[in-house]
This record gives sequence, structure tokens and C-alpha cells, in this order.
Amino acid sequence: MPPDSATGYLIVSAILFTIGVVGVLVRRNPLIMFMSIELMLNAVNLSFMTFAHYLDSVDGWIFVFLVLTVAAAEVVVGLAIIVSIFRARRDINIDELDSLKG
Amino acid sequence: MQVFDLTPLVLLLPLLGFLFIGSLRLLGVQERRHELITWVGCGTIGVAFLLALISFLTLVNSATQADDVTLWNWVVSGKLGIDFGLRLDPLSGVMLLVVTGVGFLIHVYSAGYMHDDPSYWRYYSFLNFFIFAMVLLVSANSFLFLLVGWAAVGLASYLLIGFWYQRPSAVAAAKKAFVVNVIGDFGLMLAIFLLYNKFGTLAYNGILFNSPNTTAPMPSAFGVNDPMLIAITLLLFLACAAKSAQLPLHVWLPDAMEGPTPVSALIHAATMVTAGVYLVARASNLFQYAPASLWVVAGIGAATALFAASIGLVQNDIKRILAYSTISQLGYMFMAEGAGNYSAGIFHLTTHAYFKALLFMGAGSVIHALDGEQDIRKMGGLRARLPWTYWTFIIGGLAIAGIIPFAGFWSKDAILGTLLTQGTSAGGSPWYLVLYGVGLLTAILTGFYIFRLIFVVFHGSYRGSQAEVPAQAQARRPNPLARVHEAPWVMLVPMVFLAALSTVGGIYGTPWADALGQFLAPVLGTNFNPDNFTPPGALLWVSFAVGILAGLIGIGVAWAMYVRRAPSLQPMRNFVYQTLLHKYWIDELYEWVIVKPIVGAGKLAGRFIEADALDGGGRGLAWLVGKTSVGLRSVQSGYVRSYALVFLVGAILILIYYIVRP
Repeated sequence: MPPDSATGYLIVSAILFTIGVVGVLVRRNPLIMFMSIELMLNAVNLSFMTFAHYLDSVDGWIFVFLVLTVAAAEVVVGLAIIVSIFRARRDINIDELDSLKG
Repeated sequence: MQVFDLTPLVLLLPLLGFLFIGSLRLLGVQERRHELITWVGCGTIGVAFLLALISFLTLVNSATQADDVTLWNWVVSGKLGIDFGLRLDPLSGVMLLVVTGVGFLIHVYSAGYMHDDPSYWRYYSFLNFFIFAMVLLVSANSFLFLLVGWAAVGLASYLLIGFWYQRPSAVAAAKKAFVVNVIGDFGLMLAIFLLYNKFGTLAYNGILFNSPNTTAPMPSAFGVNDPMLIAITLLLFLACAAKSAQLPLHVWLPDAMEGPTPVSALIHAATMVTAGVYLVARASNLFQYAPASLWVVAGIGAATALFAASIGLVQNDIKRILAYSTISQLGYMFMAEGAGNYSAGIFHLTTHAYFKALLFMGAGSVIHALDGEQDIRKMGGLRARLPWTYWTFIIGGLAIAGIIPFAGFWSKDAILGTLLTQGTSAGGSPWYLVLYGVGLLTAILTGFYIFRLIFVVFHGSYRGSQAEVPAQAQARRPNPLARVHEAPWVMLVPMVFLAALSTVGGIYGTPWADALGQFLAPVLGTNFNPDNFTPPGALLWVSFAVGILAGLIGIGVAWAMYVRRAPSLQPMRNFVYQTLLHKYWIDELYEWVIVKPIVGAGKLAGRFIEADALDGGGRGLAWLVGKTSVGLRSVQSGYVRSYALVFLVGAILILIYYIVRP
């Protein structure tokens, strides 16, 4: 049985999200950055589930399904891009990929 | 008997000829197939003339007064309905005959005159297009399609004046003609707007006539001299003045002589320039209720007649003399119409078409014989070498001078008699006698300038090119006229035809049996009767005698000056002569008052508005965008992580907004 208060869940969610954000900002390896993004997405999913449960609404469930689907698609596209960049440049340091600089 | 109306075919044939000859290149036919082009070009017009003749004769012989055919509905939109249709009635019937008949003769003549021109096919396609446009103009059954024809003949005129586009002067003349004509088109358009506003329709049936198939005139929607009616009629007359080269819009016609001579004969003498005379007669049901406008028409006509004839006295270019003569004769026609006798105007239109086309053809024959020479001072003594041209020219000259029994006598006397009657009758005004005096004076000048032309060109001894030919060549070929040859028969036959018409063409308009006037009378307004304009009793004979005398005086003076003693062709120094030679300096006046200020304003606008304001503004905008982008470019660093940071900051800011929002 879950506890009466949602606070614990939300704190865990916030911590996960913050780890994700920091990961995206400080790491240079796109794979790690992807994993960080997944972390952020799942942190948000956790919040959705928490609110769905405590507010007794199915809206959150629906959002979670959508987020999961989109995340899967995004990973497919993202990994494909990373693979092709790697093939072209033999290097995937994110700071080197600045050819769209203005 | 019902009218056997072939007008749509008359309209269609020249159009087909134009399309066929114009697209020969596309059809893969050799453009140099002169015979094919000649047969198609002349054949379509010849058949069109026959069809017009058939329609005309059945119209004459039928009880039906008019035939109004709606071919299709062009625009149907709410209350507005515009139909394309043709109207065959006495007026358009007469015009159709003149246009296709004289047009056909000139087409045939052109086959000889333009024979060596490399753009033969282009010439004939334009000429056919012109006939198409002119037929549309005279046979349309609404003011809208009158305007279409009106503009299309202007286009044809422009194309043919500028036919030899390699000559800068021809291009300039074409442009001038087009610009002046557009002033008239503008007037016609405004008149049409006012007519639509008043009547809610543009068809003649409903504005001029009561029902489509009769000539019963529409009762006037206006009071006499209603300001709106004055505006409409004066705007219509503005269009007429531009098209028919009346003061002050006459300047384009003399320059239009840059076109090939048959074009001058067809467009700038016989048909297109008379469209204004046609329009006034066509709109007579409007003009008759606007006596004030009629005075303007008569006054402008009289002023133009005298003015142009006086310029014609001293010009030295054979075609320009004829051009001023045309302007002057058109002035006569407007004088007649302004005095209320529309049928006399149309009568003079038809006879003028014969003798002026003939004179232009004669001039073309002379120019052809002398390899393009147009200056009469370099001609002379051509009588022996060009007998056919000489005698037909004499007939044309006698006709235009108004000598009995040639066609021009009857029509000019109809006009002078009208003015005399109007000036002396109880219902008239003495002012018409002033116009009569102007008409007589113009008749004297007419006799003079046309016989000056004949005497200088055909009599005396040859003055051309002797100085330019070296002495040995002169010794070898003692007669400098040896190379001068009469025109080929294909040019002479139309001239002989027109000479015959110029001789007997007045037969249908004599004061005793005014067949033309009686035939036209039903379409020329309410209760129009040409007999009302015939001088009563002995006055008729006075009018005849004075008219002939005026012509003879002119001819006599010309004979005394150019035949009895050696002609003096040196320009005189005195002011009057110089004024006439320089055409009253009208061109110079327009140059300084209209053209120069417009060009100057254009240059100023080019310098300040175009360069500084518009270009400067554009450049300033480009500079601003450039500078802004340089600043903004640094935002696009290319570092994914900095983008992510910005993203994060944005998200946090949105969050903060929701948190602190009251």
C-alpha cells in the first residue's frame, strides 16, 4: 500500500530529473546525454504516476503512455543519427559537432 | 424580307486571315511565299466585302430597318449583363462597305507596293488585323465593343506606323500616335462609365435605340443641355478628336506618315481616322439634345479645317501635305455634324475615303517610282513618265478641290450648303455663317495646296538627284528620269477603281436625290431629315457657284505661282510662311509645355524618389537586417550543451512565472 503523502515520490522524481539535467549539461558523450534525457523523461513519468494515483485520475496514465512511446521513437532516431555521425567522423564528441554555427 | 445578315462572317474573315498569315512561321510555311500571303490577305478582305455588300443590299431592300444579333453573353453577373453582338443598320452598313471596299483595294495595291519588303507576311497580318478591328468598331452593338474596336484599331495603327521599326523616327511616330490616341480612349472610357451609370446598360439598344431590330430612337433621358449629357457628349468628342486628329490632338497624324504609304491611305486617310466622324453620327441621338456640345464639335471642326489646310500650303513632304489635307477634311466632316447634318458628314466621309485613298496611292506610286523620295522639291516633270498616276491624281485633286461633277464637290457642297442654310434660316444662328466663311476659305486653300502638289510634282522639269549624279553618268544617261517607271498594274488597277469612284461617287448624295441621306436618316436621331439642310431655292445655286469658285481660285493661284512662272521652292523668310512651315510651332509648344516637364519630373523623381527614397530605403533596410544578424549570429554557437542550458533556463523562467504569478 503506498503511503498517504506523495512527497516522497515527488522528491525522488525531482532528484532523478536534476541528475538528468546535469548529465545533459556536463557530459560530452551523446550516448550519456541520451541516457540523461531518458532519466529526465522517466522522472517526469514518475511524477505523472504519482499525481494520477493521488488525484484519482487516469490522465496521468495516458500521458505516461504517450511519453514512453515518444521516448522510444526518439531513441531510435537519435541513435541512428549518432551512428551515422560516428561513421562519418569517427568521433562523437558533442562539442566538435558545431558545423551549424551561425 | 428578313435581313440576310452576314456581319459575323465579315468580322471573322479578316481575323482568320490575320491569324493564318501571322502564324505562317508556326505552321512551317515559308514566309517568302508571297503569292500565298497575297491571296489569303486580299482574298479574305475581298470575300468580306462581298458578304458586306450582300448584307447591305438585303438591308436596303427589306422592310427591316436594322438587325441586332447577340452572338453570346460575355459577362453575366447579378444585374450586369454584357453581350457580344453585332448591329447591322444603315450607318454600320455604309461604314462596312467603305471599310471593306476601300480596304480591299488597298490590300491589292499593297501587293505591288510592298512586294520587295522582307516582312511582307507581317505587313499583311497587321493589315488584316486592322480590318478586323475596324469592322468590330463599326458593327459592334454596344459601346463596350465599340471601345474594344476603338482601342484595337489604335493598336493596328501603332503597329503599322512603326512597321519599319529600324527607323528611330518611325518608332517615335508610332509611340506618339499611341499616346495621343490613349487620351481619346480615356475620354471614351469615361463617357462609357457615365452612360452605364445613367442607363444601366452599354448596348446601343437602350441608349440610342428603342428596340433591337428597329431604328426607332430612344426618347431622351436628359433635358436639353443637361450637364451630364454635355459631359458625356464632350467626352465622346474628346475620343473623336484624338482618333480623327482634331485640334489640339492632331499632332500624331502628320508623323504617322512614317508608316508605309498604303497604310497611310487605309488607316490614316480612308478609315480609321474617320472613326470619330462615325462615332458622332452613331451617338447623334445623344448629341441632338446637347446643342452646346454640337457647337464645340462644329467650332473645333472649323478651326481644324482652316488650321490644317493653312499648314498644308507650305509643306514639302508629299505625304505630309496629304496628311494635313486629311486633318482639314475631317474638320469639314465635324463641321457638318456640328451643324446637325450628320448624313453630310458621313457622305463626305465616304467620298473622302475614295479620293484621299486615291491621292495617297498616287503619292505611293510617285514614291515607288523615285525609290523612296518624298520631298516634292526633288520631283517635277513626272507627268510624262507616270501618265496613269498623273491622271488619277488629277481626278483626286479635282475631287478634293470640290470641282463639279467629282464626288468631293457634292459632299463638300452638302456641308457648305448646310452651314449656309443654318446661317440664313429662321431656326439657325448667324454664327453658322462664320463657319461657312471658314469653310469657303478652307476650300480655297484646299484647291491651292493640292494643285501646288500636282504642279510641283508632275509639271515643270525634274529637279531631283541631277546634282548628285556625276557628270559622266549624266552624259551617259542624259535623261535622269529614265529609271523612273510607272507602277505595276496591281497598283494601277485599284487607283483606276478609286478614280472612277471619285468621279461618280457623289451620285448618291446630290441635293435632289439624296439617297444616302434618306437611307441614313432613321438612325441619325429623332426627326432627322437631310432635306432640311439643303439651301432653299436660288440659294442652292449660289452655294454651288461659290463652292466651285473657291476651288477654282485656289487652283488658279497655284497655277499662277507654279506653272505660269518658274516655281519658287525656296522657303520664304517672312513670319507667316515660317509659322506655317513650322506648323504653328505646336509640336515645339507641346515639347516644352508637356513633354519636357514630364521628362524633367521623371528625372527628378528618378534622382530623388527612386534613388534616394526607394533605393535608399531598401539599402537602409538591408543594412539594418545585416547588422542585426551579425549580432544575432553569436547566439547560434553550435554547442549543443549551450542550447540545452538556454532551454533549461527558459523552462525555469516559465516555472518561476507560474509560481510567482499572483
